[in-house]
Amino acid sequence: MGSVNKKKIKWVIVILLSLVVVAITISVIIVSQKTLPTEDLRIAREALSEAKEAEANLYAEKLYKQSVQMYDSAMSNWSRENERFILFRDYDKVINFAKKSKKIADEAKEESIKKADNLSKNVEAAFVRLTKKIELYNKLFKDLPLSKSVFDAHNKSKMFLSESKIAHETGKLKEAEVLFKKADIYINHANTAASKMLRDYFGDYPKWKNQANDAIAASRGGNKVILVDKVAHKLYVYQSGKLIRNYDVEFGPNWMAHKERSGDKATPEGNYHIVKKKERGSTTYHKAMLLNYPNADDRARFEQKKRQGLISRGAGIGNLIEIHGNGGRGFDWTSGCVGMRDRDIDDLYRLVGSGTRVTIVGSIESLSAITEGVDF
Amino acid sequence: MKSKLIIAIAAMGIAVLFSSCAKVPQAEIDAATASIQEVKDAGADLYVPEAYQALVDSMKSANEKVEVAKAKWFPNYTKAKDLLAVVSQMAVDTKAKSEARKVELKAEVEAMIVEVKALVEENKGLIAKAPKGKEGREALEAIKSDVAVAETTVTEVEALLANGDLIGSNDKIKAAKEKATAIKAELEEAIAKKGGK
Repeated sequence: MGSVNKKKIKWVIVILLSLVVVAITISVIIVSQKTLPTEDLRIAREALSEAKEAEANLYAEKLYKQSVQMYDSAMSNWSRENERFILFRDYDKVINFAKKSKKIADEAKEESIKKADNLSKNVEAAFVRLTKKIELYNKLFKDLPLSKSVFDAHNKSKMFLSESKIAHETGKLKEAEVLFKKADIYINHANTAASKMLRDYFGDYPKWKNQANDAIAASRGGNKVILVDKVAHKLYVYQSGKLIRNYDVEFGPNWMAHKERSGDKATPEGNYHIVKKKERGSTTYHKAMLLNYPNADDRARFEQKKRQGLISRGAGIGNLIEIHGNGGRGFDWTSGCVGMRDRDIDDLYRLVGSGTRVTIVGSIESLSAITEGVDF
Repeated sequence: MKSKLIIAIAAMGIAVLFSSCAKVPQAEIDAATASIQEVKDAGADLYVPEAYQALVDSMKSANEKVEVAKAKWFPNYTKAKDLLAVVSQMAVDTKAKSEARKVELKAEVEAMIVEVKALVEENKGLIAKAPKGKEGREALEAIKSDVAVAETTVTEVEALLANGDLIGSNDKIKAAKEKATAIKAELEEAIAKKGGK
């Protein structure tokens, strides 16, 4: 009896174990039929890597972040599914997330390349615009007696432009953009201040034109007349209505202003004449020709401004405005006099005598002629 | 005979049970993750971006391998562990590369600071020699302002360097060097012009 029972038990165990083996085999077959998301995740990861290489994290930030999120979701879903009993695992969501991540990463890469390309072109175009503004400053404003803040703004602009170019060369386009925007702000400040100064100055142009025409007309009787153009930094000699000489000249650092008082480093404007010629030894500036500054107009203006409180009570009107040598230095260095090269003053000295009319004007050319139609 | 067969089947079952319980290499994962963070904190993403990106990609790949193993009836984390070991070693190498690049960059910036400072001083000396008359100092205001901008930039670069911004300081000092060199050329030209008079 006992032996029969033992046999039965053994057979039950064998059958049960066989069932277990069969169940395991079926499960293995079922599981092996399931598609793992391995390949999709690898593709998504590589797409993300390519997007990053194309700097999508900078130029297509939103899409890139979405793609990263999709990849992370795929991974966390995969991990979650793997925690479940093997037969109940479902990787569809994981594969879906991975595929979305790849798709968005590709879009991010494409958008990044486009945006970076556009930005690079914009930055390059901005460099051209900025360089033109700097050239405009150098062409029109560089020699104007500008304030320190304007010089500084111009110089800072050049520095930011250099930094921006370096950033652009090293592929840091966003940084280059920020830097050229800074450069643009500074150059605009400098150019706006300088152009306002120039436009304001040319408000007197009709008067200068008349004075210059009068001076040339005065030479028609055969007299020599000196006409000084401050903007052009030129001294012309006219005789019988014709230009017979022209020289480069230099003034004081505040040459644009009309001389009003002692020490203002400005060069006077108006009609003057040579009152005294100074030979070598009588002047420290090689040779010199003293003008009759201040004339009656200068005195009247000085007194009026003093009454108006525009010039301090203790200020003097100034004197000793000359045309003299020691020039040719390439910048405005005198105290308001007209500086010439020694060989030029030698020539002029021989050419003109005491009493020669000297007309000093801001410019004999109009502003548009000087700027050659450049928009500023 | 039958009982031996039963024992063998039971042993197999136990073996299967044990092997299916192979542990996720969490310690290795944590160590690799921590080492990547350490590398990032050392600025590798800025100084050696390509090496850093390769490291991050490898870590992602290792995580995928862990999940691949987990997805199996009989998880085997050997490949994942091997890759995690590679990632940890890569992290060490990337950090070393990053540190080396930082040292190199710092030396470059410091050398350029010295160079620009010398140029600034040279320019100041040239300004003193530059042609000037009664009001020469005022006439040289524009160039002095240019020199001052370059000098201020050097100070800014030193501050950036002190804050550890090697890349920012490198770009800025390059621009300052360009500026100082251009000023020098301008001044030398003016002095030569004066000498030729």
